[in-house]
Amino acid sequence: MRPHLPKPIARLLRNRHTEGLLFVLPYAVIWALFLLWPMIYGFYISLFKWQPLLGSEFIGLKNYTNLLHDARFWNALKNTFWFAFLSMPLIIGIGLLFALFIRGMGKRRGAGFVEASFFWPYLLNVSIISIIWKWLFDPDFGLILYYLRRLGLEPPVFLNDPRWAIPAIAIATGWWLAGYRMVVFRAAIEDIPDTIFELAELDGANPLVRFFRILLPLLKPALLFALVLTAISSFRVLGQVLMMTDGGPGRASEVLALYLYRAGWQYLEMGRAAALGFVLFLIILVVTLLGFRFLGFESELGGR
Amino acid sequence: MTEVAPTTQSWSRSRARSRAGLRWRDVRAALQGLGLLVLALLWLVPVLWMIDTAFKPTPEIFTLPPRWIPSRFTLEHVQEVIRDWPFLRWVMNSAIVAGGSTALSLVISVPAAYSFARLRWKGRNTLFLVFISSMLIPWQVNAVPLYFLMNSLGLLNTYAAVILPIAAMPIGVFLLRQFFVNIPGELEDAARIDGCSSLGVLVRIILPNSIPAFVALGLYMFIFSWNEFFWSLIALQRPDLLTLPIGLKALQGAHDIKYGILLAGAFLASLPVLMVFLIFRQRVIRGMTLTGGLKG
Repeated sequence: MRPHLPKPIARLLRNRHTEGLLFVLPYAVIWALFLLWPMIYGFYISLFKWQPLLGSEFIGLKNYTNLLHDARFWNALKNTFWFAFLSMPLIIGIGLLFALFIRGMGKRRGAGFVEASFFWPYLLNVSIISIIWKWLFDPDFGLILYYLRRLGLEPPVFLNDPRWAIPAIAIATGWWLAGYRMVVFRAAIEDIPDTIFELAELDGANPLVRFFRILLPLLKPALLFALVLTAISSFRVLGQVLMMTDGGPGRASEVLALYLYRAGWQYLEMGRAAALGFVLFLIILVVTLLGFRFLGFESELGGR
Repeated sequence: MTEVAPTTQSWSRSRARSRAGLRWRDVRAALQGLGLLVLALLWLVPVLWMIDTAFKPTPEIFTLPPRWIPSRFTLEHVQEVIRDWPFLRWVMNSAIVAGGSTALSLVISVPAAYSFARLRWKGRNTLFLVFISSMLIPWQVNAVPLYFLMNSLGLLNTYAAVILPIAAMPIGVFLLRQFFVNIPGELEDAARIDGCSSLGVLVRIILPNSIPAFVALGLYMFIFSWNEFFWSLIALQRPDLLTLPIGLKALQGAHDIKYGILLAGAFLASLPVLMVFLIFRQRVIRGMTLTGGLKG
């Protein structure tokens, strides 16, 4: 049965090219207005000394070249990479480890509880996990420092120590996001036939060798994909930093997104903020392209 | 290796199993299970400690050694948060933003994904690639221009300012297309022979067969927008419009190290998710698997 439509629309729909396009139209309009256009407009803004209260002046690429001499930019860049470098192996490593643990548990009692408890931090929002971990890392009454001292160590004051602020934020981020990776890895592991695990076990190779020689190659596509996606989200980090250290102590944990936020909404230098956004985009683009070079385009379209 | 070897091996294995081996295996499995259970509990410590702190009298929060079991259970922090802060308002704002983004995203993504998956038309693949590539555009690039755009549209400090850009994310089109492509063609052919239009096929064949995909995408979008931080921080600055994450940031800004109140706020903010998770645990986890490796 054909739904009743006004004649001109019905005629348009009969042409399959216009018809196909019509179905896409609602999304395409929203996309063009709120994703594509802002990006173009953003580049335009980045070519100006754009200050909402003081008026704007065209300065070409000066916002970009200025960044080259901006020590604060280089510091933020370094901090962003340092955070990504620390948080990625934590998120992916723990996620993979947990996925393997839970596979090992099979259908035994408690498996559901274990999985739920590993996964559930992911559902908390960034402000919640920041408040929790700031409290855990508290230099005077935090659990972590207390128990480390009990173990006879002399722990740093983490969030208040310029060298430890970013690693501490990375640890909290690992706890937060590893569960999500675990769930995704589990799906990849379940796609591996049981016989491969059994054969490996019969082979008698020790677990480590089994892991590196058999499992890792099979999981390589899923791992690379996770690597790219985790990298992207790590380079964008803002919430945890803003909430846990506010970029401090000093500027020891000021990341690119935080510098952008401050440039735009504290110093009202929108041109510089827009340029920073493009630099961040460029970094993410390069990381992704590098990642997908190893992956092949097919896996990009094939989901996990 | 001789041909006898495997037989010998399996013989000795089965003999070992029938004697002490069976018990040893059980013990090992039990130990592994126990180890994991301990690890899982350890993983929960931050959350447990949050709850512990939220319901403890203030002096007992700031004591060393840390006091796990408080002398009494108190609601003072929770009450203070609810009394001094529009907490329910934040929850409602978050629900509106998350619900609106999820609904709009589904409504516009479904026909688009259907067209990309099942209809043939000129420029289809090119346009799809353009959409997919735009997944890489982070909020940070668009924050500044979106701010001015929303301002000139008069949408700053409205829910729409957050809902529209989230719905514009291509992830929904991408995931649904993956799903629609895999629905068998025979169903559609039969409907077409019966005279169904493309719209008819979408409504009668595709929609009823895609409920799991809608649930998965819906969950993903809901969680994403429920937790969205960066853009909400910029677009919703009026106190009565704050979403939960931004409200908590305001709470932290005002109380700094009054951890009783802060953790009571964090606890309250995690309650809705906790409840949904306890009820729909399997569904949430499976939904996450369906959305694969994609995150914002």
